Amino acid sequence: MSLQELQQRVLQAVLAERSPFLRELRDDERADAASRLAIYRNGYRVRLRDALAIEFPGLGKLLGGRFARMLERYVDAHPSEHYNIRWHGAGIAAFLRYALPWREKPALAELAELDWAISTCFDAADEAEFDAAELASVPADAWPALRLRLQNHLQLVPTCHNIEAFRRAADGSSHRPRLRRYEQTRQLLVWRQSLTVHYRVLAADEFSALTGAIKGESFAALCERLAAFHDDAEAMPRMVGLLRQWLADGLVGGRFAD
Amino acid sequence: MQTTNHPLPYLGYGLGLRVEYYESLLEQPGKVEWLEIVSENYMVAGGRPLVWLDRFRERFPMVMHGVSMSIGSTDPLDEDYLTRLAALARRVQPAWISDHLCWTGVQGINLHDLMPLPYTEEALAHVVDRVRRVQDVLGRRILLENVSSYIHFADAQLTEWQFLAAVAERADCLILLDINNIYVSAHNHGFSPLDYLDGIPAARVQQFHLAGHEDGGPLLIDTHDAPIIDGVWQLYRQALRRYGRVSTMIERDDHMPPLAELLAELNDARSIAEPLLQAAA
Repeated sequence: MSLQELQQRVLQAVLAERSPFLRELRDDERADAASRLAIYRNGYRVRLRDALAIEFPGLGKLLGGRFARMLERYVDAHPSEHYNIRWHGAGIAAFLRYALPWREKPALAELAELDWAISTCFDAADEAEFDAAELASVPADAWPALRLRLQNHLQLVPTCHNIEAFRRAADGSSHRPRLRRYEQTRQLLVWRQSLTVHYRVLAADEFSALTGAIKGESFAALCERLAAFHDDAEAMPRMVGLLRQWLADGLVGGRFAD
Repeated sequence: MQTTNHPLPYLGYGLGLRVEYYESLLEQPGKVEWLEIVSENYMVAGGRPLVWLDRFRERFPMVMHGVSMSIGSTDPLDEDYLTRLAALARRVQPAWISDHLCWTGVQGINLHDLMPLPYTEEALAHVVDRVRRVQDVLGRRILLENVSSYIHFADAQLTEWQFLAAVAERADCLILLDINNIYVSAHNHGFSPLDYLDGIPAARVQQFHLAGHEDGGPLLIDTHDAPIIDGVWQLYRQALRRYGRVSTMIERDDHMPPLAELLAELNDARSIAEPLLQAAA
């Protein structure tokens, strides 16, 4: 048997739910081959489960005692394909959207998305923050065409539940909150300022303006978006207020050249 | 092979850098002389891990220790992985780079474990070729570490130490000898750990690992979650007698004790090694 065939057989045996007989492995007086192989089979599952539990604390808070079982089902359904064990978490939200019984509770997939956004934001590429003082030099007639460049690592997580409360409870080691469902979809923004990852719920008007800014729309276009939510007289001050907050939060990386 | 062949430095007594010790190690480094990082933990785009990495790199000599090269796999070498590893090496400028003599997956699936190879001529030729190619990419000789193992293959033609020694000689790489892994595998497979030490060419041994393990019934399990046991300390003494002064570090990955306990354990290593080495000199 070639080395390649042997490795494939051992791999399949490690992934199998039950320890199969492999004639390529040897028993001895200390332990038989099946119980030796079982160390790798158990180790694979425990390592993945433990690594994923670290990346999905909010989901763990929501699922409680059912969390470990869900992770085991995910690991059994999806062998890991990335050398970094943590990256196996990239498929959890999708799994929760299709796999029974979890797909019947959409909050689970939503919370998995939030946990994963926080995890990937943590070590996303470093980006410089835009110096607000640079905006002071923008002439008044150039403001309508001004286009901001937002940080690449920003992520938006849509949800119909209070999923952020579960993540907060997990991070603060506090009690499991009560799950609430909302009629309207809410949007959570996840971002990193310096080394700290933040998340907050966006008001509907801010979500619209931020979506436009991410697309590279002009300041005038962002104000137009806000006009759908506010009187004409209020849209501009609201946009200025949002811009101040975005700058303070470090969401802005620069401005596009005209 | 386009590698630099400067003699590698002797670094003394070090620890594995772990998140749990970031702050305490900066505040009270004790007599930690160098650090070993797990390469994959810092093969990221940015953020906190690289900030901490740079902080420690300013203060300590550092080596890079990987767990995912999968040098023995029959899948193609992961070019993306090697590119990222090389990029990290440019940032860290480590004294050396190591990984394990094992395979971690095949068919694109990763088992996240250090799977032992069958010690055959076919596997030997396969690994030697891949080590040479990795060394070409990295532009330096790498260290390969012996792993703890629990299965043995019916068709083995060589002992583990014959296999490791042959890989090192034929591929011109160096050896990271994990003393605990020798102890664990000797127990699990019924060979003499002293035969193992005798079979390894001293000139290739660049680093020692020390660690604790778990007695899991009939077999010992390499868990890195407990203090180093007396049997491993005894084997460390034997290794020092055979190989002389070798950079030594302690790995701890679970049930993390206060840093002071690890520093005391590192001092135990120093207290064992220094009198023995001075007497030998």
